[in-house]
Amino acid sequence: MDILSAFLTSIQSVWLDSGFASFTFGNFVMILVGLLLLYMAIGKEFEPLLLAPIAFGCIMANFPCTGFLEEPGVMKMINYGIQFEIFPPLIFLGVGAMTDFGPLLANPNTLFLGAAAQFGVFISLAGAMALGFTAQEASAIGIIGGADGPTAIYMASKMAPNLLGAIAVAAYSYMSLVPLIQPPIMKLMTSKEERAIKMEQLRNVTKFERLVFPVSAAIIISLLLPPVAALISMLMLGNLFRESGVTDRLSDTSQNALCNIVTIFLATGTGMTMSAEHFLTVQTIEIILLGLLAFAGGTAAGVLLGKVMCRLSGGKINPLIGSAGVSAVPMAARVSQMVGQKANPSNFLLMHAMGPNVAGVIGTAVAAGTMMAMLAK
Amino acid sequence: METQNPIVIMLINMTIVFAVLFVLSLYIRLIHKIDPTAKAAAAPKAAPKAAPAPKAAPAPVVEKGIADETVAAIAAALATMGVGFSRVKAIRVADRPQWGGAARTEGLTTLKMR
Repeated sequence: MDILSAFLTSIQSVWLDSGFASFTFGNFVMILVGLLLLYMAIGKEFEPLLLAPIAFGCIMANFPCTGFLEEPGVMKMINYGIQFEIFPPLIFLGVGAMTDFGPLLANPNTLFLGAAAQFGVFISLAGAMALGFTAQEASAIGIIGGADGPTAIYMASKMAPNLLGAIAVAAYSYMSLVPLIQPPIMKLMTSKEERAIKMEQLRNVTKFERLVFPVSAAIIISLLLPPVAALISMLMLGNLFRESGVTDRLSDTSQNALCNIVTIFLATGTGMTMSAEHFLTVQTIEIILLGLLAFAGGTAAGVLLGKVMCRLSGGKINPLIGSAGVSAVPMAARVSQMVGQKANPSNFLLMHAMGPNVAGVIGTAVAAGTMMAMLAK
Repeated sequence: METQNPIVIMLINMTIVFAVLFVLSLYIRLIHKIDPTAKAAAAPKAAPKAAPAPKAAPAPVVEKGIADETVAAIAAALATMGVGFSRVKAIRVADRPQWGGAARTEGLTTLKMR
């Protein structure tokens, strides 16, 4: 009898210590959300490199009793990387090493398109404040409109850590949906003649310009907006590795190995913030809707300024490149190319669109820095 | 003074973003203006003195029966080895059957069975 009782007590103890005993309906729903995201990543190939680890992190975050974020361990370390803004600047190092600033340097007017696309950020900020979010939370929500995942996470970690999961998921989801969200807005706002405009070939950019720009831009922007100095400096350092011609190994590591490793940590860690108790709220739905508003607003504002520049230049600028001002690099530029080529098969807008696209990265970082300087507690 | 008015926050931030990127665009233009390498690249290079026309090298004597294509192939093979065709004095069929055997052996040893 004693043996049976001890056996039953042990079984009961194992059951009570297991995750099943503490498993909630919310955990179940979030695991389903994780599986859906995983399907979108693998089945539909929507940004799989980001969405797959986010989805798996989401599933892991809903295993009860793991103590992932309480006890020291790899999960806690990954969480530190997000909480203390370590990963976003490292991602920016890779982005800088991968990005050619040539189109921006050849046509600096495209910086204005990158600035105009930030309009969506501020529309969403106003919308979030109207819905009752604090100014700090609203600023972090608004930055989703910049379509820049690392900056959104950086901003959310600083300004609204409680909303990090929802903001990161909204930002990366919309980034992966750029080819679906942007074209209808672009077509709605332009005529076929405007979309068919062919742009002149860009001038050659010298090595001197390519070397001086990243160094001096890092100095100027970091002095002006210290809150984003880490992001901008790492972006420019990565670009310097790329352009110097003497640091090929560093450039290669930044672009590939390091960027991939940090992406795994950042994306998994982001998914790990999607536990049911933090994610299954009305606020999450509001954030996702506000993110869509921000994204659509940014695209529309970029195209609108593109139309103005088209008029001012006597029809030499295709307004479609304005939509690339949202900084999903290089996806947004590819969308400009795709829509332009549909209107005119001999149209090649990709390199022209890379100018506003890179400007968008800088513009989003500047917008984030400005809001942090203005609104941080 | 800390404002909580979303419109004011929006206007201030948009103004700053445009101002910063405007300054950056001016700065990019400045870099382009002061670029010393651009001037060097744009300056017309002094035309090199016209080299005296080389004397036409005597054409090699080609044995009767050798096709023009064969001569062209020999010239191309020599060019890939860095030997000018002008150094060739004559092209004739050599009576060396071992060349044919060597070619067959080479063909058989390097042939990949699929």
